Amino acid sequence: MTEAVRLDAVSKVFGRGQGSVAALREVTVGIPRGTFTAVMGPSGSGKSTFLHCAAGLDVPSSGSVRLGDTALAGMDENALTKLRRERVGFVFQAFNLVSALTVTENITLPLMLAGARVDRAWLDEILHRVGLAGRAGHRPAQLSGGQQQRVALARALVTRPEVVFGDEPTGALDTMTARDVLTLLREVVSALGQTVVMVTHDPVAASYADTVLFLADGRIVDAMTGPSADMVAERMTRLGAWN
Amino acid sequence: MMSFAWKTLRHRKAGFAGAFVALLCAAALVTACGMLLETGLRGSVAPERYAGTPVIVAGDQYARMTKKSGKEKAKILSERRWISASLAEEIGRIPGVTKVVTEVTFPYAGFTAHGWESAALTPFTLAQGRAPSAADEVVVDARHSGRAIPGYRVVGVTAQALPNQDTIFFSTDTARRLAGHAGQVTAIGVFPRVDVAVPGAVTYTGDERGAVEFPDAENARIRLISLGGALGGTSLLVAILVVVGTFALSMQQRRSEIALIRAVGATPRQARHLIGREALLISMIAGLIGSGSGILLGFWLRAVFVDLGAVPDNLRLVLSPFPSIVAALTTLVAAWVAARISVRRATTIRPVEALGETAMPTARLPWVRLVAGLLVTAGAVTLTIVLSSLSTEAASSPVTMLTALLWTTAVALLGPLIARVVTALPLRGPGVAGYLARKNLRAETGRFASLITPLTLVTAMTCTILFMQTTVEHAAQGERNAGVRADYVLGPGTSAGAVREIPGVRAATEVLHTSVRINLGRYSAQAVTPEGLAQTMDLKVMVGSLDGFGNTSAAISRTGGRSPQRRHRRRTAAGARRRHPRHGTGRRDLRPWPRLRRSDPAPPPRRGPR
Repeated sequence: MTEAVRLDAVSKVFGRGQGSVAALREVTVGIPRGTFTAVMGPSGSGKSTFLHCAAGLDVPSSGSVRLGDTALAGMDENALTKLRRERVGFVFQAFNLVSALTVTENITLPLMLAGARVDRAWLDEILHRVGLAGRAGHRPAQLSGGQQQRVALARALVTRPEVVFGDEPTGALDTMTARDVLTLLREVVSALGQTVVMVTHDPVAASYADTVLFLADGRIVDAMTGPSADMVAERMTRLGAWN
Repeated sequence: MMSFAWKTLRHRKAGFAGAFVALLCAAALVTACGMLLETGLRGSVAPERYAGTPVIVAGDQYARMTKKSGKEKAKILSERRWISASLAEEIGRIPGVTKVVTEVTFPYAGFTAHGWESAALTPFTLAQGRAPSAADEVVVDARHSGRAIPGYRVVGVTAQALPNQDTIFFSTDTARRLAGHAGQVTAIGVFPRVDVAVPGAVTYTGDERGAVEFPDAENARIRLISLGGALGGTSLLVAILVVVGTFALSMQQRRSEIALIRAVGATPRQARHLIGREALLISMIAGLIGSGSGILLGFWLRAVFVDLGAVPDNLRLVLSPFPSIVAALTTLVAAWVAARISVRRATTIRPVEALGETAMPTARLPWVRLVAGLLVTAGAVTLTIVLSSLSTEAASSPVTMLTALLWTTAVALLGPLIARVVTALPLRGPGVAGYLARKNLRAETGRFASLITPLTLVTAMTCTILFMQTTVEHAAQGERNAGVRADYVLGPGTSAGAVREIPGVRAATEVLHTSVRINLGRYSAQAVTPEGLAQTMDLKVMVGSLDGFGNTSAAISRTGGRSPQRRHRRRTAAGARRRHPRHGTGRRDLRPWPRLRRSDPAPPPRRGPR
């Protein structure tokens, strides 16, 4: 099975000298194509840094990151930006949409920035899939929180990226709405074969994934396949997440 | 990208309103000032009195000097330069000249007075009566038919009247005598149109004749050039700084949005372009509306200046598309520059900030900015000290503006530091609102800092511009009052001779305010009659004395005395060059008397009207 993302001995140190903090320590992991991976860990475990480094948003202090067969090392900000907009999709916790643009314009924003043509059929299919076909002309302010996250997911999918990264994509949603969005993410993986990597602290969210990686103190300490919410919660308790 | 920028603009109308209004006002002001400037540069006054004469020979109204670099500089004189009457004969001998008409011009009781010899210049013809021949006979223009001239008999009325001057004709001999320039004339008219070149005078044709006829218009033109330039430049500068401020503020408010578009694939360049396009779009709209309404503003400004007497009514505005085009373009450039300055922030925003909660920006002052800020502050302090020792208007005006500008720049550079210091002060507003306001300011010093700059700038500039004149006027009034010993100061149009004959009057001093050029430098000057001077004026003589002050002496003010050119040859308005022995140095630097209007001084005392 080919890997969509590969991290080799990736370390990330913030600050210098005595005040320095190692957020990631020698992390080595491969994310297989077409899988749904959840990254879990207590606060300060380095899961956000893991996502930033894997997605080319931040440059690791040492080690190498490969996206498909492209090594990210040595790329400047412009090259990384182009790589992100062509081959990576993002769904953030909040502030996902540009309030001045409509749903369609928000979704096609990466294409516009890349100067690429919009594939109408693909756009319609995404809109339909995320259940926003009738709201293409709305502005973010006219949508609910769950709908906004679905627009963000559509935007992440529009470039047919190799990986979609989610940083607590359901963190700001209520339980019912979160379940809809997670179901949608699951469908994207199962039906479209999309690779998804999601950082979360919610065991229920993690239970939608194929694999859960557990981070603690900057290291991957455990992995679980076919997780259930209870198993994940139990493992997190052992990691000292909820004392 | 353009449509994206347009959508952002439409969505964030309120956020851009400040920048829009600033740019709109700047465009309007620059257009209006441009119109004044262009009028100053290219405007001309059509001749009225000389309308019927193809060629006018008159004095050179400029003091000229060739610099060492070979460049010739010319500065306008404030008094009319008279020419020798004997030039008329010389011109008459030039081949092709059929007729030569001499003219003297002088103010008389609100009229522009001439000898009947020059009636042919317009030409004036008699509608009734006859030409003046005896010493006490006058002819008035058509507008003043039936008006009595005290001390004179009106023997005729002309068929014409000039739109911008009230004309009165004396007999040729009387006019020459009243004008008080023996052997000299103001102008010589030449018929028909031939090339005339005589030493000591300049030939004027076409609209140039208007400049001779209305020397005040020439002064007004030069005033318009400096005024238009200064006002336009200042408003543009203020606009740039306000726009920089508002853009910087909007950058802070839009941090997460910019981080987002960076994360989803906008390169730093694209993020910069987005902001740049927004600025261009705003300035395009503001520039269009502003330069359009600026034309109306220009007309209004001119009307105000005409009412104030700063611009003569017959100096028409020059209308051309240039001021509007220049205003629209400068607004565009100003907005672009402002966007460029504030956009640096946009590119330093890391896309990581869009993930999760937006990290609060830490308002740390880069050390380069800190050092620059401290240097500018030091400069501002120095200039303030220098300014407090300056005592002439000419020196202090530019320094005042510069000082204000330096202080504002210092505030702009050190804004974040000032914001932190101010918020650290134990200030407390009343109630919960006050508590929240204080906490909010303290938490977001960066936003507060970008607010301080435009506010400081606008306040500082407005106060400087508004209060500079009044402060100088106040100081001048103080010196004036301290310098006047006379019990009464009489306005223009009073006859000194008549005043002296009033029983009980011990001394009366006639004063004429004018200016002289020394090596092209302009010095304000006042001419006084020396008799009884000590009783009417206190000039606070520091060196020398005013004993024997007369026709060949001059007193120089303390600041004038410091000038390196103090004993150089003096170029007076009348064109005479002579060495003035120094006759004491006065302390009064600002105008010690109300300025008399040169166009309307007292008539010569010998035959003044009662």
